[in-house]
Amino acid sequence: MIAGSVSVPRKRKNVPAVLTEPVGRVGRLQLEYAKRDGRTIIARSHCTTPWHLLPPIYLDDTGAAYTLLVNPSGGLVGGDRLSIDMSVEEGAHVLISAPSANRVYRSEGEVSVQDITLTVGPGAVLEWLPEQTIPFAGSRFKQTIHATLAPGATILLWDAIASGRMARGERWAFATLENDIRITTASGAALVERYALDPATNLGAVGLAADWDYVASLYVVNDVVTPEVWSRLETRIGLALDEEAEHVLGGVSQPAVPGVAVKLLAKSAPDLTRILDVLWAVVRAELWSLPPVAWRKY
Amino acid sequence: MDTRALLEGLRFVDSFFPSGGYAFSSGLEAAMQGGAVKDSDQLGRYVEDQLRGGMSRREVLAVKVANRAGATGVVAKAIEVDRDLEATKIGRGSRVASRQMGRQVLKVAADQLRDKPVVEAYRDAVEADRAPGHLAVSFGLTLGACGWNAQETAAAFLYQTAAGFVSAAMRLSPIGQFEGQRVLGEWLPVIDRISREVDETMPMTSWSPIQDIYAMRHGRLEWRLFRS
Repeated sequence: MIAGSVSVPRKRKNVPAVLTEPVGRVGRLQLEYAKRDGRTIIARSHCTTPWHLLPPIYLDDTGAAYTLLVNPSGGLVGGDRLSIDMSVEEGAHVLISAPSANRVYRSEGEVSVQDITLTVGPGAVLEWLPEQTIPFAGSRFKQTIHATLAPGATILLWDAIASGRMARGERWAFATLENDIRITTASGAALVERYALDPATNLGAVGLAADWDYVASLYVVNDVVTPEVWSRLETRIGLALDEEAEHVLGGVSQPAVPGVAVKLLAKSAPDLTRILDVLWAVVRAELWSLPPVAWRKY
Repeated sequence: MDTRALLEGLRFVDSFFPSGGYAFSSGLEAAMQGGAVKDSDQLGRYVEDQLRGGMSRREVLAVKVANRAGATGVVAKAIEVDRDLEATKIGRGSRVASRQMGRQVLKVAADQLRDKPVVEAYRDAVEADRAPGHLAVSFGLTLGACGWNAQETAAAFLYQTAAGFVSAAMRLSPIGQFEGQRVLGEWLPVIDRISREVDETMPMTSWSPIQDIYAMRHGRLEWRLFRS
């Protein structure tokens, strides 16, 4: 794939051209899921380095396809532009996770970009539960996650960032971090979480949240689930958060689209993983009467 | 600003204005019960963090966009930024409170500022559900129509918000009036800086996870004085 072109001035042939090769890789992962004979399969796919595509795994008898997003390089360097373009066709059910955290390495100038586009068809379900992003000291990260839902589609979307490599004493030491999450329903209404942190400036400082090491959000959206179900789910999540109040600071509410939104702060990775498992189990039980899924990642 | 414009706008900034703001603490009550704010120093840091991280590039940005709409009479941009605010206000309590106060501003403004058709046009858009009518937009548009510029309107919006926090804190804790004035005074430099620095051509962003979470937790408090 041609990542960019190098222009050389025509009339200056005697001057050695300084070849400014574009830094970083352009990696694309395209996945189309469809339901065939009661099972969700990958109907079409395309991927370029560094993405690596594994066939889906079936963890239970629901026919839901479980896919790990594998980037063997372990993360993004400055100048990388990674993208995921995923569609889940009518009635299909997909679970997505990753084998390890998404590392964003130090960059002197170029931004590391990850663009994720998710399209969920009528009555389809996408459970998007990647591992957290770890922005290294001096890193520059820009992520967009834009999901579009058809009528009756469901998305369960988890996004978590760590303060950095805490074991090395790196906390909130990245250069810039931008995150733009948008979930749009069939009516055109949207839920948006967008922040731009540039700790060197006053308005972009991390502020009081710097006392914590993980910041996470969980969104569950579907436009046909009844308000009673959302209220019940909100109550159950609120109770679950209260039980974990010694370890995490969390809140739950209902956003401007039909669904629930959870915001969380945690001080350790085990605390974050545990609360996610609890919340995920509550959502699956309340929406689909399904038991928790036992990941097989390692 | 001429004196007439100052007076027309001041009415909407004054705590005497019936916006209903006295009923809302914007999560401060939950933060106090949760132990995050125990004294006036912590109140100072908590609210400053909220104004700077949570509201500068979101509410203040919306105030400035709406101010220009109010000044020029073109409401399309105000409707757009109002919808953006609706999408980014993820907690229901904060969203409902902001809409309720915004509608109060528009109701009074449309009745009182008969010579400013932009206010009536915006009120009609909100009543027809074409715009949610958030406070930042209603306030920005109204003061723009009154002749206040974007920076003045942004500063007034932040001052009104800050004064609301002090007022709520005084009802929730032993912080006295003198202490309240001291804390308010300490926020003036950050209010000045935000109202100057926010660039309304940037995308709307917001970062105040702690305050957002406490605002979400308010509805679960066993006893509460405020509605948010």
